[in-house]
Amino acid sequence: MGLKTKITLSEPELVHAIQKKDKSGAEALYDMYSSSLYGVIFRIVQHEEIAEDLLQDTFIRIWNSFSSYDASKGRLFTWMVNVARNIAIDKTRSKEFRNSSKTEDIENNVLTLDKKVNSEINPEIIGLKDLIEKLKPEHKIILDLVYFEGFTHVEVAEKLEIPLGTVKTRLRNAIITLRKVFN
Amino acid sequence: MKDLKTYLESGILEQYVFGDLSNEEKLDVENNALQYPEVRKELEEIENALMSYARSNAIEPSEKVKTNFLNSINTIDQVNNSPSINTGGASLRNLQFYKYAFAASLSLLFLSGILLINLNNKLNESYVQLAVLQSDNQKFSNQVNYKEGELRDIKNALQFYQDPAAYKLVTLKGSTKAPDASLLVAFNADKEEVMIDMTSLNMPSNDQEHQYQLWAIVDGKPVDLGVFDANDDSTGMKKMKFIKDVQAFAVTLEPRGGSLNPTMDKMMAIGNI
Repeated sequence: MGLKTKITLSEPELVHAIQKKDKSGAEALYDMYSSSLYGVIFRIVQHEEIAEDLLQDTFIRIWNSFSSYDASKGRLFTWMVNVARNIAIDKTRSKEFRNSSKTEDIENNVLTLDKKVNSEINPEIIGLKDLIEKLKPEHKIILDLVYFEGFTHVEVAEKLEIPLGTVKTRLRNAIITLRKVFN
Repeated sequence: MKDLKTYLESGILEQYVFGDLSNEEKLDVENNALQYPEVRKELEEIENALMSYARSNAIEPSEKVKTNFLNSINTIDQVNNSPSINTGGASLRNLQFYKYAFAASLSLLFLSGILLINLNNKLNESYVQLAVLQSDNQKFSNQVNYKEGELRDIKNALQFYQDPAAYKLVTLKGSTKAPDASLLVAFNADKEEVMIDMTSLNMPSNDQEHQYQLWAIVDGKPVDLGVFDANDDSTGMKKMKFIKDVQAFAVTLEPRGGSLNPTMDKMMAIGNI
């Protein structure tokens, strides 16, 4: 299975295929975005099995409620990452999850995360790692809280005990750094 | 817009991409994006940067997630254009759940059915037992009534012996028609009672057409005191009509219901006070 060719389409092609409920659209959607979305979900729930279940739920929701995606309002990934984040955050707020995570060995999960991210075989990514190191730690922590864990700006300000304006500025600067790195 | 640069740098576009805006603010950003290419471009760059950042933090999930996902959605295979409706993955888990739920419901239904039949049987048994108990109860209360009747008779009979002074006991002896016949009549002037002791009654049994009639002889004339039957199982004291100043009692056999005047040739027993 691992050697199977992954399907990649341009974003308009992909959107069109999904709208037609085309099977190849579903495969392309998954192949193109599963690992990115899984990265977000895993960071939030910190549990492999739960994260994979949620990833599946995320794709099913994306597929079934695709009509609510409006291409004129932004990129597909932006919409999808919001879906994924909301599903993952809902999970962490569930009673069932809070009860189970008390007994989870958090240390172990952090190790798994590092191992997983490091073992990522994605030629695009190698080299970018170093560039990301350019993010200042005080920028990165805010970016990660907001982007990966779904904190609102207000929540970040409260958590880190810094003014809301500072949160906005640092976030913007973090993104500017990323833009320099990626674009 | 007054100051586009300030707007672009305000951080609101980042918030828009993060989904951290109210609906009103969101609409505002979308309108501006339509109106100003600079806004649209800025948004795209933010989105691209974040998408790349997410990609650099990507983790490969296990292959089964893809299979489950593809199995749990409805897709149209473009080759033959036929919709393939799959039930795998999440809906497989759902299906699994429903399967178990269904099985559990069936078991419950079955169990309830057995319990119901069982209960119904027990209920029917109870009804039978109840009926038996009720008939027993009826029997007992009949017996009690009967015994009470007997007791009353006996108490009445006892009065003579407890209060011999108050009662005059007159033994009527059989006539030539019935030499062995005998009959005890109790007479109480104070209580105005005339009674026949049925227990010690010894008269030939009368048939359905006839009854014995008790007469009082007052100043040589017979006065009707009522009728009675003589059977083997008659017990107790039978109360008759009362009359004062009796000199003698007599019993004749009369047609059922009695006669106005005694049939003298059917005189069965007689006794003086």
